[in-house]
Amino acid sequence: MRDSTLKYLLVLPAIVVVFATAIWPLIESLRLSFTVGRLSRPGSLEQYLGFENYIWAFLYEPAFWNSVWVTAIYTVLTVGLTTVLSLGLALLLAPGGRFRSGVQTLLILPFAMSPALIGVSFRFMFNPEFGLFDAVFGALIPPLADVSWLVDPVLAFAVCVMADVWGWIPFLTLVLIGGLASVPQDTIEAAQVDGASGWRVFRDVTLPQLAPVLAVVVILKSIFSLKTFDQIFMLTNGGPGTATQTLSHYIYFNGMKYGQIGYAASVAWLMVIPMIFLTYAYAKFVFRKE
Amino acid sequence: MLGRRRKQVIDAVQLALILIAILIMLVPIAWIFMAAFKNHIDVFQLKLFFTPTLENFGTVFEPPFFLGHKLMNSTIVAFVTVVLAIPIATMAAYSFSRFRLTGETAMLVVILATQFVPAVVIILPFFVMFRDIGLLDTRIGLILVNLAIVMPFAIWMIKGFIDGIPLDTEEAAMVDGSSRLQVIRNIVLPMAAPGLLTAGIFCFIIAWNEFLFALILTNKDAVTLPIGLALFKAEEGDLWNLLSAAGIIIMLPMFVLALIIRKYFVQGMTMGAVR
Repeated sequence: MRDSTLKYLLVLPAIVVVFATAIWPLIESLRLSFTVGRLSRPGSLEQYLGFENYIWAFLYEPAFWNSVWVTAIYTVLTVGLTTVLSLGLALLLAPGGRFRSGVQTLLILPFAMSPALIGVSFRFMFNPEFGLFDAVFGALIPPLADVSWLVDPVLAFAVCVMADVWGWIPFLTLVLIGGLASVPQDTIEAAQVDGASGWRVFRDVTLPQLAPVLAVVVILKSIFSLKTFDQIFMLTNGGPGTATQTLSHYIYFNGMKYGQIGYAASVAWLMVIPMIFLTYAYAKFVFRKE
Repeated sequence: MLGRRRKQVIDAVQLALILIAILIMLVPIAWIFMAAFKNHIDVFQLKLFFTPTLENFGTVFEPPFFLGHKLMNSTIVAFVTVVLAIPIATMAAYSFSRFRLTGETAMLVVILATQFVPAVVIILPFFVMFRDIGLLDTRIGLILVNLAIVMPFAIWMIKGFIDGIPLDTEEAAMVDGSSRLQVIRNIVLPMAAPGLLTAGIFCFIIAWNEFLFALILTNKDAVTLPIGLALFKAEEGDLWNLLSAAGIIIMLPMFVLALIIRKYFVQGMTMGAVR
């Protein structure tokens, strides 16, 4: 067989799979978003409404806006905290040596943990009666001694953010250690010889060279924060009330619990839009390396 | 003198910060490990010292929990997903790596982008379709949708490995009269084998930990381990000792697998944006 035919035959199965498992559902979701789309009424999946589902979400659903805000604040906090803390930890661990390399190996563990399990374990850790973190926080910060973390809307949200940050710091730290390793050592040494302080070296030499890797970290983490579902589901299930209901959780609830799949699809598509921008930004970094 | 003193202080502070970080990282995991060996009374107390028991690991496999069934579902689903994904991804990765294709960049971007599509968007139409054709609560259904999340990783990761294999041996064999398919089978596959294994393990972990698809598509027969965690609730609340034992069964194999492929973790997750 000639290479000119073979090269397309080789990619064909992959393209078919990607089309069937990702592109088709995206298009079909878009179609569903314009229908009445009740799971309990079979004909309603072909009953078209135009943009009514979208208008409904925007104008008549405070719960939709609530989940938009929850997701936005959650994303900003988790991306900000994980990035800053990971950078700090990466700087501490980057020098290498036996001890630091050992710690780097340990960093793999939280990342191999299923997010659902992270949600479960944080619910355990913040149990008001026998939760370890609950006890530690209570001892360190006396006003927090008698609170029920997952019953208070603000504190429950804080626990969700902590669980997320805990789960992502190890991985992002590893990414940033990789990034730091590629910063040329001689420029740092030159700056040190010139008498620059540690902070100046970091700000003027290391940070600018690390910028592309930091950008990748921020984009990647933003994408995963926006999609967050598993942990929240296991940790608070969106509660108390809707205090921790992210967009994914809101879509799941409307689509699966209430059977309003058309409406759920419209909100799902509203969520795809920011993803397109983030993916575009991410793709630029990936292809710059090619 | 003063300079050396200052350096010692900085070193000590750094060491302390690293130790605090390890502590924060390991304590939740360690706490789950301990809880799994506590009996149903000790687990509801903040005890550091207790008489360990293996009882929980037996109870989770008994009725009404039947964790063995979920363990089997998870194993089959993750394994078959990987066995389907890796050959398909390898073929595509080889082609992307070695040839110029019309629309190659577009295809690679689309494949990259599918990783970022929220799972909740993908699952709505699949739920409707599977309900209509009877694939709800089946392992086959779950395997099909799992392909959506592992394929982009697998293709990009394997492409990275094949990009790293030098062309000369392949070219030499072609000059000697081997066909392209022979070259792939006899030269590329053996050289790429460690990479394929790494990608396979990576995809296995992703499929094993997958939650949202299984939550929506399964309710009894095809329930996987992460969904099975929801079982350990009684009227009086969560059965933390059993939950922890189940948690260990879920995470321990993944820890082992992750440690095997730790060198490639970053590269795999970032699709080569960071090497």
